[in-house]
Amino acid sequence: MIEVKAVEKKFGRKKILKGVSFTANKGEITCLIGINGVGKTTILNAIMALTPINKGQILIDGKQIDKNTFEKITFIPDAITMLPHMTIAEAMEFMNDFYTCWNQKRATELLGFFRLNPSDRIASLSKGNTAKVNLLLGLALDVDYVLMDEPFSGIDMFSREEIANVFTSHLIENRGVIITTHEIGDIEHLIDKVVLLDDGMVTKEFSAEEVRENEGKSVIDVMREVYQR
Amino acid sequence: MNVNFNNRDPVYLQIVRYFKEKIAVGELMPGEEIPSRRELANRMKVNPNTAQRAYKEMEEQGLIYTEKNHPSKITTDRKTLGKVRDELLVEAVDMFVTSVRSINVPVEELLDLVRVKYTANDDKEA
Repeated sequence: MIEVKAVEKKFGRKKILKGVSFTANKGEITCLIGINGVGKTTILNAIMALTPINKGQILIDGKQIDKNTFEKITFIPDAITMLPHMTIAEAMEFMNDFYTCWNQKRATELLGFFRLNPSDRIASLSKGNTAKVNLLLGLALDVDYVLMDEPFSGIDMFSREEIANVFTSHLIENRGVIITTHEIGDIEHLIDKVVLLDDGMVTKEFSAEEVRENEGKSVIDVMREVYQR
Repeated sequence: MNVNFNNRDPVYLQIVRYFKEKIAVGELMPGEEIPSRRELANRMKVNPNTAQRAYKEMEEQGLIYTEKNHPSKITTDRKTLGKVRDELLVEAVDMFVTSVRSINVPVEELLDLVRVKYTANDDKEA
């Protein structure tokens, strides 16, 4: 389980996170939702200890992030971080050299899943295929938790569907996933848990199935209630 | 297995309903093997945890059964199968009654109309 406890974060004088708390379980897909600038990416960076926090605590399976827990978790940023002149195969080799938890078998499977050609250069790829390579490089790591920043943003409908298919496949099974998004429509049926963020705080944390079952509401219904008060 | 899920009912119950409909119309036969939870999640594009929950619900309702190390199968229990058909029928009639009640039509007149429409459809299908 990832526990984010009363996390505060300032950039200069501006408080971006004002005491954010939520949990994300292993084997579940947790979706962080909020408008742009609400601090979603900052939260992911904080979980990865890529940015220091001013207050609060973040625990991964009960422990603070260190050398050992770092191998349990990966962060897939919203844009690919590989050099554009690299081919997909070279990017995969780079990951293999860099991470002990790289799983070549799963990487090859993902190549097929996304129908990517390993000899293509990253610079030559469409936006949708770039997003798929980006996901592939993260998902091929043998980790317990995967953080994805806006995996669906700015790509066409069919690529979004292919990416969504990952979430229903064994490629995700048993892992804890946190994704950030501001468009929930495509993935409403895929997520377990929703964390709504507004003004640097968590305004609501709920299970998507429970809100449907107990209140007869869709995730979007709840979002409307929270954001259009 | 293309299902159009609505956003306001629990997905696991919508999956259970899908199976009940297939059982009622005979597309799923008693004793027939059904996909694994993983496969169902993949084919229906739903969360694997949700597929798991749907199967658990169907097991509890006696719609499916799972023997050790074998795929789950549709029940062969006639009573349960009959209940599925009745349940869907009553539900459909309930919906129909609710929507025509506001028109305030005498039940005999309504039944005549139902008879005509129902057999007209039969002719069309034949």
